[in-house]
Amino acid sequence: MNFYFYLDKKTPIHRLDPRTKLFLLISSFIVATIQHHPIFALIVAMPIFAHGLLSGSLSNIRRIIGLLVAIGILAVLLWSIQAKGVTPLFWKFQVEPLLYGISAGIKIDSMIVAGIIFLSTTKNEEVAIGLVKLGLPYSFSFAFCTALRLAPTIIGTARMVAQAQKSRGLDLQGGGLLSRMKKYIPLLVPIFLTTLRYTNQLSMALESKGFRAMEKRTFLLEARFKARDYWITLGLLLVLALAIFIRIKGYGEIEGLLL
Amino acid sequence: MAKALQVRNLSFQYKGTDKKVLNSFNFDVEKGEFLAIMGPSGAGKTTFISTLNGLIPHLIDGKLEGEVIVDGWNTKEHETRDFATKVGMVFQDFETQLFSTNVTLEVAFGPENLALSPGEILRRVRESLRSVGLEGFEEREPATLSGGEKQRLAIASVLAMESNLLCLDEPTSELDPMGKDDIFAIARRLKESKSITMVMVEHNIEEVLGADRIILIKGGNIIAMAPPETILREVDLLRETGIRPIPITELFVRCRSKYLPLTLREGLESFRKEGWGIDEARYLSLIERDSLRASRYGRVLIEVRGLEYAYEGGLAALKGIDLQIREGEFVAIVGQNGSGKTTLIKHFNGLLIPTKGEVRIEGVDVRQSDILQLAGKIGFVFQNPDHQIFAERVIDEVSFGPRNFGFPEEGIAERVDRALAAVDLLDLTEADPFSLTKAERQRLAVASVLALAPKVIVLDEPTTGMDYQESIKMMKLVQELNKRGHTIVMVTHTMWVVSHYAHRVIVMKDGKMIRDGKTRQILSDLDGLREASLKPQQMVEFGRALGDFAFLSLEECRKCLVP
Repeated sequence: MNFYFYLDKKTPIHRLDPRTKLFLLISSFIVATIQHHPIFALIVAMPIFAHGLLSGSLSNIRRIIGLLVAIGILAVLLWSIQAKGVTPLFWKFQVEPLLYGISAGIKIDSMIVAGIIFLSTTKNEEVAIGLVKLGLPYSFSFAFCTALRLAPTIIGTARMVAQAQKSRGLDLQGGGLLSRMKKYIPLLVPIFLTTLRYTNQLSMALESKGFRAMEKRTFLLEARFKARDYWITLGLLLVLALAIFIRIKGYGEIEGLLL
Repeated sequence: MAKALQVRNLSFQYKGTDKKVLNSFNFDVEKGEFLAIMGPSGAGKTTFISTLNGLIPHLIDGKLEGEVIVDGWNTKEHETRDFATKVGMVFQDFETQLFSTNVTLEVAFGPENLALSPGEILRRVRESLRSVGLEGFEEREPATLSGGEKQRLAIASVLAMESNLLCLDEPTSELDPMGKDDIFAIARRLKESKSITMVMVEHNIEEVLGADRIILIKGGNIIAMAPPETILREVDLLRETGIRPIPITELFVRCRSKYLPLTLREGLESFRKEGWGIDEARYLSLIERDSLRASRYGRVLIEVRGLEYAYEGGLAALKGIDLQIREGEFVAIVGQNGSGKTTLIKHFNGLLIPTKGEVRIEGVDVRQSDILQLAGKIGFVFQNPDHQIFAERVIDEVSFGPRNFGFPEEGIAERVDRALAAVDLLDLTEADPFSLTKAERQRLAVASVLALAPKVIVLDEPTTGMDYQESIKMMKLVQELNKRGHTIVMVTHTMWVVSHYAHRVIVMKDGKMIRDGKTRQILSDLDGLREASLKPQQMVEFGRALGDFAFLSLEECRKCLVP
């Protein structure tokens, strides 16, 4: 399986400046986090979903649909048990915690989806340029993006190591907590060392290709703020202001909820 | 005229070690020269090449003596990154050199660092991709390329720096035969263009025939430096330095001929000049021996019926495989990367479950067995030992499997001893596995599987990254295990290993088995080999040119030869 999400498409979202896409991501996070009521959470989820549709990222969202459902159910259960409310529903369940759980599930899923859309529409290199244009040093931006890139490599290594150890009879199921943790040592040591070796060689390859040889480097990809980027940024600022206003005014609270 | 490279009294010792890995190297390389560096594992080849762009001493710690001067620049006085315009460095492991999200950006990375204009960057990208034959791949994601394509991309990304000295550290050791050929074709083209000086570390002898000069190093010392025509005839010296001599040359050396051919054609000529012949009766006895061996195989251990396998996303990796493997067989599975070899063998111990069809081990469907049961019957040795080694002592590493099975302690000790004795690591029982050489670690991986005493041992590329002597040692060990009753299934790209050791060969292509038969039959089926993009063995070709003989090794040919 490929753990790399970027989809090489030419949608309007793909063509945005990476800074705009970053802002889209951050705004989605903020707006999703500050709402309480499931209705409001749904209202937030809808444009995020539309964003996914518009950017042609649905295939990637489909790939993680199982994860989204699992997180949704877990959130509902967790908060229904954890939080306290006033209106009984049935047995030990109450209305307010249930509502909050549903809302939490939608919120977390919305954020994951927003993240996947960002990864589906933005190349690593674009993220780096975006960060550089926002004033961060290139070394930092590059390191950040390489870390993103490293994740699939580590997962690939992990899979190989797990197969090798399973072939020697390692059974990860069963046993108490302590013995189960011990069982992970044969997995973690080779994964860690392989990754260490990988990053060491990567740094030599980078150095050999003149990484940081010049005070300032150039970029083949260009990142320029165009009219549509300004419009979208403006729109997002309005949405953020509205969301914060609603929150401060106290709309969308679940009354009687005790966290 | 300035030299491309000057090496003056160069010595190096890694930090925290007490032995020099390079000992007073002294030589010059002319502009446009193609220099090949050869030697056994641990000779100092990679260390040497790391001094050429200042990775030593700037990134790798140790004591450097003497001078390396590249195009007038002393490596001590300039950082590695500043050498980027003078020295292009292609590393052995292509995976760690590729980090961009498409081919164009990968090649652009270097020129971007040099702060070139986008127009100039694009020109270099186009030109570099053309020299490695990757036009049309511009938008592809590097992870989706084959191994050979990845290494070509790595070379292109270095060519884009337009440096005059190109260094390649075993660029083909992890590639299949076709990928290897592509890389050497690129090297030849670059040499013909004459503007580039090349230094290449390489194990394969046929491939360095085109070099201007070969330097043999061993134990950190230069032991020979001469043109290939001279060095390639020094068969004993090559063997001592962990290099496999050209078979045809070695044959004539062993037969004490005064003619020492380097190519098949020269070999046939020399054969006629010597007035030698082939004894057909002796050749027939070789074939009889093959048949006799095949008649002694026992019951069916592995049975595969209508096996199909598709990866997530529906990509079909196996498209209907039927085969049986009997007790005592020694089977080699060959084919290009992506032909389905590794996918097939991962079905034998339940790492993969068939999408369609079935796999039975000793009559039991793998779906009905758990991994523990299967691990006791089928031992699986992975290609890279570093994906499994984790313990602090060799003995603990080998005990890991038997402990998982819950064997009693005294039983484990005996199993471990026997396994370590079999792989010749008994002296290193208490050693730290990470202090072993790559070849020793691979043998340790075999031992850790042997300790479970499986009937079948499956090996994925057991000789990758090993020099000739190490490969022979590894394969002799596998052969010995086979003689003691273990059934062997091995996936490999190394055709001489197949030819010398396997009894039976299965050829895979695009998820199907296109040939299956005795080694002699399959390796002399030149059409079949071509179909799978595999190269025929020189001794087989030699025999075929002399008559209808298929020699699997030069020893076989020698036995049948009548002076």
